[in-house]
Amino acid sequence: MSYVVVKENCCDMAELHIIGQIVGASGFPQNSLFCKWGVHTGGAWRLLSGLKEGQTQVDIPQTGDMAYWSHPIDLHYATKGLQGWPKFHLQVWHQDSFGRCQLYGYGYCHVPSNPGHHRISCVTWRPLGSWQEQLAQIFVGGGPQLRSPDLIYNGADRYRLQTEAMGTVELELGVIMRHFDKYGVES
Amino acid sequence: MAANNPSVFLLTVNGQIEGANFPEYDSLYCKYCYVYGHDWAPTTGLEEGITQITCKSSHSNKLIWNFPLETTFKSTNPSGWPQLVVSVYGPDVFGNDVVRGYGATHIPFTPGQHTRTIPMFVPEPTWRLQKFTGWLLGRRPEYTDPKVVAQGEGREVTRVRSQGFVTVSFHIMTKDMRKMGYDTGSSTIKSVTSDWSTEEQPFL
Repeated sequence: MSYVVVKENCCDMAELHIIGQIVGASGFPQNSLFCKWGVHTGGAWRLLSGLKEGQTQVDIPQTGDMAYWSHPIDLHYATKGLQGWPKFHLQVWHQDSFGRCQLYGYGYCHVPSNPGHHRISCVTWRPLGSWQEQLAQIFVGGGPQLRSPDLIYNGADRYRLQTEAMGTVELELGVIMRHFDKYGVES
Repeated sequence: MAANNPSVFLLTVNGQIEGANFPEYDSLYCKYCYVYGHDWAPTTGLEEGITQITCKSSHSNKLIWNFPLETTFKSTNPSGWPQLVVSVYGPDVFGNDVVRGYGATHIPFTPGQHTRTIPMFVPEPTWRLQKFTGWLLGRRPEYTDPKVVAQGEGREVTRVRSQGFVTVSFHIMTKDMRKMGYDTGSSTIKSVTSDWSTEEQPFL
């Protein structure tokens, strides 16, 4: 469980609040979707309160193409440096009527670095297998997945990985910054 | 002096629940309440309420409540920022009151005017038989406490169906956030509308 509640006096550290929601997703082949999400930060960041990962509910929209989750995000970080600015990594999954789950896409996006309300469209991609795997995927589903989810937000090891484009995840993120100007940070 | 080093800031919410967009349902009313963290407390205004019952008219498909929201909160910490939780109810075929949607949105924190379109969803029964008996007896699955909608934990096993939208507009003012060192972005005078729904745009 990565749930930390620490009420300390961090007046010499800069603080960041991320308040918003993962709104939903659209543009995927089928509609019954859920999302596993997490926030990754560098070593200088400390999570003071809030959940930094989770899983949304499964939404089956009545009308329209977009699945809505409205999953609330409320995170409070303290930091000593700008490296490792928080980023969201997402995995969109499809659940069919029998309860089987299939990966529909990976995506990541940085948390905005200026205060205020932001709407973010996060694009997603899915690993593409060989033509035999693609044919099997049409009939029985499934498909290749990443061995380690670090690759979603890490560019170091993507050489020779073949992927295909999938839909978009919409996020509404509000950013409140505190004491960043004391350190001379302009945003 | 305390005025130069405040430890508490205030958030004033003036707004209204404008109305809803539910293509398949009519004669709806809405209950709202606020959910907030441990550091927050409401100082004035109502924390929850219930609107009138609104119907679609012959010349318009809109469901309008125009219901006022006026509340002020105080806090020491932006964590646990208040959320507005909205639940919409209406009659089914047999006249029972059933839930037509739950939704939640964070109160905006940048001073100024904001519009939010909240997607509304209902919990889905897993079995087709349960769906049928629910329809027959007017007993749809409901949340025992609508405030659950404002939390992120425990959602992994729930299946929901999104079937409508509620539009809320806010005018936000804050006091002493800047003195405490918080930067919430520039004030906005244009309304920010969510335009992700592919259905008919509500009230634009």
